[in-house]
Amino acid sequence: MVRFLIPFVAVLLFLLEPEFAKFSPIHFENYTAYLVPRFLILYLIFISIYYNRKRAVIYGLIFGLLYDVFYIDIIGLYAVLYPAVCFLAGWSVKFIHQHLLITTVLAVLLVAVMEVILYEFFLLINFTAMPFDAFFNGRLLPTIGANLLFLLILGWAFKYLIDARLLERERSMT
Amino acid sequence: MPHFSNKKLILLLVSVIFLVALISFSLRDRQNATLPEEIIKDTVGFAQGLVAKPTNYITSIFSNIESLLNTYEENKRLKMRLEDFAVLQAKVHDLETENASLQELVDKEESLRDYERLHATVIARNPDQWEEKIILNKGSAHGVERNMAVMTARGLIGKIILVTPFTSEVELLYTNNSNYRVSALVQGEKGDVYGLIEGFEAERNELILKRIDSSLTIQVGEKVVSSGLGGIFPKGILIGEVTEITTDDFGLTKMAYVKPAADFSLLDEVIIAKRTITSIDGQDGSGTNTDLSNEKTEAEGDE
Repeated sequence: MVRFLIPFVAVLLFLLEPEFAKFSPIHFENYTAYLVPRFLILYLIFISIYYNRKRAVIYGLIFGLLYDVFYIDIIGLYAVLYPAVCFLAGWSVKFIHQHLLITTVLAVLLVAVMEVILYEFFLLINFTAMPFDAFFNGRLLPTIGANLLFLLILGWAFKYLIDARLLERERSMT
Repeated sequence: MPHFSNKKLILLLVSVIFLVALISFSLRDRQNATLPEEIIKDTVGFAQGLVAKPTNYITSIFSNIESLLNTYEENKRLKMRLEDFAVLQAKVHDLETENASLQELVDKEESLRDYERLHATVIARNPDQWEEKIILNKGSAHGVERNMAVMTARGLIGKIILVTPFTSEVELLYTNNSNYRVSALVQGEKGDVYGLIEGFEAERNELILKRIDSSLTIQVGEKVVSSGLGGIFPKGILIGEVTEITTDDFGLTKMAYVKPAADFSLLDEVIIAKRTITSIDGQDGSGTNTDLSNEKTEAEGDE
């Protein structure tokens, strides 16, 4: 049963992202914080590290394509970034110890890198005119904070789910 | 790189070319979604609608609690305004009947102000928030068309930019798109002053009203509404309030900062306004269907 739970959670996170995006931006006195929910890619990074890199890349491709078509209307942006991030995460397993906390930090760092690449891309095609320091303070830092919080709350659940799936697979093999 | 064989290298190259082609194809100023896009949009939109219902319910509970906390303050303020309101209502009623009888007198049946309301629910907001877009659960099957005005009860928020059978995409007023203009007017004391809403100031979070005739005076606090002269929007939808007036970059015309009346965060129910009078999409043939950012004379048409 856990087998189907893994893609199901991915679909659920994909659909929940825009709902959480409705809360953003948050206005303070003279500071506006954009929180970009990146739940799905964090989950895919976890899959890539703990479960199966190839599968994570395929999920990344499918969901990236859906994301492009449904929200961005620029086809080929997330469809490349998501698999690339999953690939990098899976590749890092060779060098980094797979402790939950380390994985969490790594996942958030990868998301931050993706965020910067996206910023540069949108700057290139004139979708935004935001200077880098405004992007860094108003978007990158709040986004890192919000996603780190999300992973600290739910990271163990992702790992638990993936471990359950690995256990199930082992049992069916023997 | 020792692990790259020739075959892999060629594959990588081809996919990069394919990617660039795909991105540049989708970056063009497209009017319609292709069929596979429409299918994906409608399917995801359906699933998104299912998720949006409970979450909208939860967020409405939160905002209810928030408004409950402010009840006392609000009540005090509202009581003060209530007395003015009764007088105003009588006056509006008076003016409306007068207006109707005058229109009858001159045989004028249609007005720029008339529009049909179509209620829609916001099912998603572009999660990466680079482009300010929201997605609604009504599409061409419900009579939504491109370029219709979208508003909340408090004021204008944007216009429809893409329609599929069961969903539609709204570009909000907060956008960097230089082709995004709304023909607006300031309800000044000495008559209406016309201008164009063009872009917004990110730091102030306010819209910019440009191309105001410098001989006319406007004042801080005056209301800005849509003029209906762009050819698409109905007249008289509230946009916001003037907060500051300056001259523009060249010193030829005035520009004003406008604080939007609508609240752009936590949108869930919106109204699509379909004006009853003939609308013109501002594009005659393929001649003007190009980048208008440098052609100021054609600005009026592109609402």
